[in-house]
Amino acid sequence: MARSRSFRAYGLAVIGGILAGSGSALALSGLFPGFGAMSDGTVNLDGWKADFSTGSEAADPYTRARIARHGLLALARSEAVYFTRNTDDQGERLREGCRYRLSGGRMPAQWWSVTLYDAESRLPMNTDGALSLDASRAGEEAWSATIAPQAPDEGLWLSSRGGGQFDLTLRLYVPDARLIEDPAGTLAPPRVERLACAGGAT
Amino acid sequence: MKRWLGPLVVAVIAGVAAHVATVQAAPAFIMGRAIHAMEQRGVPLHAFSLAPRTTPQTQTVVRPSPDLAYSVCRYDFDQLDGPLTVRMAAWDNYASVSFFDGETNNFLTLRGDGKEREVVLHGPALVSSLEYRSPTTKGLILIRRLAPTQADYDRVTGVSASDLCSADPFPASPSALEPQP
Repeated sequence: MARSRSFRAYGLAVIGGILAGSGSALALSGLFPGFGAMSDGTVNLDGWKADFSTGSEAADPYTRARIARHGLLALARSEAVYFTRNTDDQGERLREGCRYRLSGGRMPAQWWSVTLYDAESRLPMNTDGALSLDASRAGEEAWSATIAPQAPDEGLWLSSRGGGQFDLTLRLYVPDARLIEDPAGTLAPPRVERLACAGGAT
Repeated sequence: MKRWLGPLVVAVIAGVAAHVATVQAAPAFIMGRAIHAMEQRGVPLHAFSLAPRTTPQTQTVVRPSPDLAYSVCRYDFDQLDGPLTVRMAAWDNYASVSFFDGETNNFLTLRGDGKEREVVLHGPALVSSLEYRSPTTKGLILIRRLAPTQADYDRVTGVSASDLCSADPFPASPSALEPQP
């Protein structure tokens, strides 16, 4: 009887340990569906976060697991760097029910784009054809665009329709070498200013 | 209290082992699933396939860029007797061909800069450091071409017909890259 209880205790210990260990690994790597697309990141510029080890074997195991889940087939930093943010300039979570002004200027790269993704790291399921803004449309100097579920009366538009709680990814292709060495001194990242929210709150 | 000490130690050991194994195995597991999903969608082995223009309705991987046209080739050195020959046809805007091993590592990327690029890729058994070598037997090769408009994508459709991912050697080409150490 005592031997049976002991056997059961060890069995439960193994099962509990495996569940806790694998569960904590999935959580720390952002592998549970619906959260964890963002890392703490090695670089944080005004809320835009990037991990410059993306795509390389130098990335730590947690980063590699998270990138595999949320950024599979991402390029190494010499070819492209990826900044992501899910909050506005006031630190509030980006959400479909609000309207934002996205603005910026020249970027230290051969080509850049800003793309909107939902919490599952997918393009929101809409047919607006307005999920990305790139250098060819924004121009070389100061630019701004509206992020909202409906098109603005004028100007550039990023559609958040169907995005729920969304995030933005800034891609910088063929980045200047200085960006890797001194990101804060090289990149002035786009601002995300909240203009209004459904129900009147801002 | 003492009788719980043994199970407690076992639980901690099992937890640490499961934690490390899960984190280490995740990239290969996810990459394996991605390669399998591409196979299920008809992406051929050892041939490039141009993906439909990226939209919410056609997306097949996480975080695709709607501004890029993607061509993908699956490779498996277990099913090759020799190296893989890869060619990216010239594109007049940003283009790159990038190689990913079975654990998601981007082990090689070549930029187009308006020119055709050619690579001879060897399997992991190769010991020479003078050739391009895949760290794992399976992997993916991805060509990205900047094509923000439908007209650009339509042009990619024509250009990408000259892309090559094959077990056959390519004909001599003056633009072939010299291997780098």
